[in-house]
Amino acid sequence: MSNQGMTTASADAKMAAVNKKFRTTGMTTGAFSGLTYGIYTVLVLVAGYYEPLVSAAGLLAGPYVCSGLNDLFAGIWLTAYNAKSGRIREMGRSLNTFPGKMIVVGSILGGPIANGAYLVGLAMAGAYAIPISALCSLFGAIFAWIFLKQKITKRVMMGMLVCVAGAIIINWTKPEGSDNFTLGIIFSFVAAICWALEGVFATYGGAMIDTDVAVNLRQLISGIVDLFVIVPIVGGLGLLGGTLMAGIPAIWLAVSGLSAAVSFLCWYKSNSTVGCAVGMSLNVTYAFWGVFFCILFLGQAVTPTIVIGSFVIVFGAILVTMNPLDLFRKGE
Amino acid sequence: MLLPARTAVLNYLYGVENADIAQIMEALKPLYGGERQFTKDRYMDHVMSLEANGMVNLCSYDLDQNGELRMRYEINDDGRYAVDKYVDKKYRK
Repeated sequence: MSNQGMTTASADAKMAAVNKKFRTTGMTTGAFSGLTYGIYTVLVLVAGYYEPLVSAAGLLAGPYVCSGLNDLFAGIWLTAYNAKSGRIREMGRSLNTFPGKMIVVGSILGGPIANGAYLVGLAMAGAYAIPISALCSLFGAIFAWIFLKQKITKRVMMGMLVCVAGAIIINWTKPEGSDNFTLGIIFSFVAAICWALEGVFATYGGAMIDTDVAVNLRQLISGIVDLFVIVPIVGGLGLLGGTLMAGIPAIWLAVSGLSAAVSFLCWYKSNSTVGCAVGMSLNVTYAFWGVFFCILFLGQAVTPTIVIGSFVIVFGAILVTMNPLDLFRKGE
Repeated sequence: MLLPARTAVLNYLYGVENADIAQIMEALKPLYGGERQFTKDRYMDHVMSLEANGMVNLCSYDLDQNGELRMRYEINDDGRYAVDKYVDKKYRK
């Protein structure tokens, strides 16, 4: 073989290694985002078991104080991370662009609206809310079809039907003693719809911006809007002060914020490396992890409907976003 | 105010036929060179993410004198459309 030939072969090998590393990073971060979102879910539930959150009056104050503190803490963790890697100025620069402003719209849909609805859903329907909210991939495909003109293939259609079937299985028998169960499920649907819209805005705006910076903006804006706009409106300022003074629930929320920060960092990273479809399908495995950890640590009752329904929804969500066989196929 | 770094990479590729990562960094050094984020790994991540988002294409690759992989990227129609739409003309040379 000539020198030229050897050099080309060597360049090919190095290029293949770079591509493989990029793809592996995307897959690993996607899977890790699902695991850490499951952990975040459980930690927020744990914070809610402490006074004054556990006896909070009203439907919205408790969830929004939790959601706002969690997101603000996540934003602070991410700001520290970006400061360390020299990207603080990127935040102002990004906000100054149109794509950056789209990230802001997405963060308000996904933060105050979807996350708040998710936590209200969790408070009312327990772990049953988790797989319902995972239907965001189903709505994501529908919105991508409407707004981003992406076609719905037969496989996606099948996945959607599987997701709906999973939702029906979970709702087949509602747990005893929860009056607001159905309302909780409705709130979980609202979360799923708004997260899907956030995905559309984030995809639209995020391609030209460093994803680590986009996530940082998302969490900070979401936390600030929750705590300084929504919490006062829903009459939760007293509860917010009480939670911060109580210490322990605030510490749990700081830890859940760290978990949420890692999860979103990984999710956005995955979306921008292996594509939104694969990233989203790996992320929705949080529905499995969330239910798994709730059963393991919080004494959530294991019923056949919740177990079968969770698996069916996760499988359906994966089918919506990708051909499951691709996970096992070797990259080029 | 400067453009976000990733946008600046795309904006630079808008004005040239193609460029490798070293050339992109050399061009952006006067504006971004003093920042801690100005690393080869970070810029490689920028171009590869732009490629994953369908805005630039890898047009060729080879090894440089040091045996390091040198990847050349060119902007495509979607990337050009995004720059035309979202990047103010004052940022273009």
